[in-house]
Amino acid sequence: MLKEKLGRVVRAGWNNFRRNSYVTFGTTGVIALVLVLFLGLIAVNFLSNVVVSGLEGKVDVAVYFNTDATQDDIMTVKSDLENLNTVAEVTYTSRDDALAAFKARHAQDALIQTSLSELQDNPLEASLEVKATDPGQYASIVSFLETHKLRTTIDKINYYENEAVIGRVQNISRSVQEGGLVATMVLAIIAILVAFNTIRLTIVNQRAEIEIMRLVGGSNWYIRAPFLVEGALYGIFAAVLSLAVWYVGVGVVSPKLAVVMPGVSLIGYFGGNSPQFVLLILVVGIGLGVVSSMVAIRRFLKV
Amino acid sequence: MIELKNVSTVYDDNFMALDKVDLSIADGEFVSILGPSGAGKSTLLKLLTRELIPTTGEVVIDGVNLATLAHEDIPLLRRKIGTIFQDFKLLHSRTAFENVAFALEVVGAPQGRINEDVPKALDIVGLADKAGNFPRQLSGGESQRLALARALIHRPRIILADEPTGNLDPVNGHDVVQLLMKINELGTTVVLVTHNRDIVDTLSRRVVTMEKGKISRDQAENGKYII
Repeated sequence: MLKEKLGRVVRAGWNNFRRNSYVTFGTTGVIALVLVLFLGLIAVNFLSNVVVSGLEGKVDVAVYFNTDATQDDIMTVKSDLENLNTVAEVTYTSRDDALAAFKARHAQDALIQTSLSELQDNPLEASLEVKATDPGQYASIVSFLETHKLRTTIDKINYYENEAVIGRVQNISRSVQEGGLVATMVLAIIAILVAFNTIRLTIVNQRAEIEIMRLVGGSNWYIRAPFLVEGALYGIFAAVLSLAVWYVGVGVVSPKLAVVMPGVSLIGYFGGNSPQFVLLILVVGIGLGVVSSMVAIRRFLKV
Repeated sequence: MIELKNVSTVYDDNFMALDKVDLSIADGEFVSILGPSGAGKSTLLKLLTRELIPTTGEVVIDGVNLATLAHEDIPLLRRKIGTIFQDFKLLHSRTAFENVAFALEVVGAPQGRINEDVPKALDIVGLADKAGNFPRQLSGGESQRLALARALIHRPRIILADEPTGNLDPVNGHDVVQLLMKINELGTTVVLVTHNRDIVDTLSRRVVTMEKGKISRDQAENGKYII
């Protein structure tokens, strides 16, 4: 009984959706555009998080020791650094390790390999890589090293202004997201208005049916529900359309992006979490459609 | 039992469509309502289907004051009342069968009941052999009888007929009125709004005449068309 009722309502909604195909196409398209923009915002958020966490994982200060510095000296500096509460982690790389890493990095380069083998001594310096508890603390670590009693064993101190870069990335990301959010909201309102007008058109076209439904005692629910189904259908089709466009687009862009940002896989992110994204976009799409129907029904459908 | 107690209806433009009307219609009565345009006949019918609520006074059907009816109970009231109109109000994209079935579909009736009841209703109005025809393939009289079949499908206690013969020739008009008589004999209350003198005079039933929103004459029996 309920299944039969539901079947009739869904069929009526589907007929509303199908009958004015041009208007349907436009409405679905506008909602789909909003959903694509929404997915774009998610992508921007993901990319900025990747960049920021990459930067956060980077070394803040690198200390290179003269080649004649003893391991004891280096270890003293290391343990002094470790005692600072501004330091999160200190990694020691010996001269031999540095050489091995260098060789491995240039394994394909015959010229470098030959040059190295001709050298009598290891030209590389031992180093300490310091990770600050807070990237903003690099300056105090540098000044601590500059005044250290073993300063003479240190060849050079490199520091990286990670905090400033992180700040810049976050600023750019925030502006893009804020701008995107405003654009999405504006477009969402336009989409709701377009869907609202389409449903209003259906209501006007079906004046006769609606009048007869009221006349013969059709329940309020039965009169309204097909228009809600119609709204939901705009959302579902828009979701399917936007997801198709999005995943094809990501498939094309992702390899190109990986060239600029190695290790970042947009397709991996959206592919790996696809059930969540499909569900999210469906819910947002259906939400937009149903809200439009509800507004139209409230304004134009007297029961 | 239909009762209007001191009912006045004033529209937004301050037009007084009904002015302190008292009217009582017993179960099983056949009442014709006459009157010139603007007399308040259509407003009266709209009050009975709860499309309007009176500005003052009470409209009571079977002891229920319609103004107090909850929104979700209005459809239930309308299932007790069958309505037919001068312009038939049929769905042109549906067959005769589907037009009648529509009234059952919208109240959530199961398909089994639809298949059983619709042919019976079509049979009562003499359209059993036209079930597959579309409204454009029916004559005016047949269209009105189809509308009547739809009005009967919920087995209503009351039939409201708003100028049902207005678009029909005398023969077809007569057929429709005969059908209304037959339905009335089976116990259904019939309220007929009409301009047709011949029909009123041959009916010889109660006749209520309205003028300028008031009841100017109420002939309880053997009423005649007098304006």
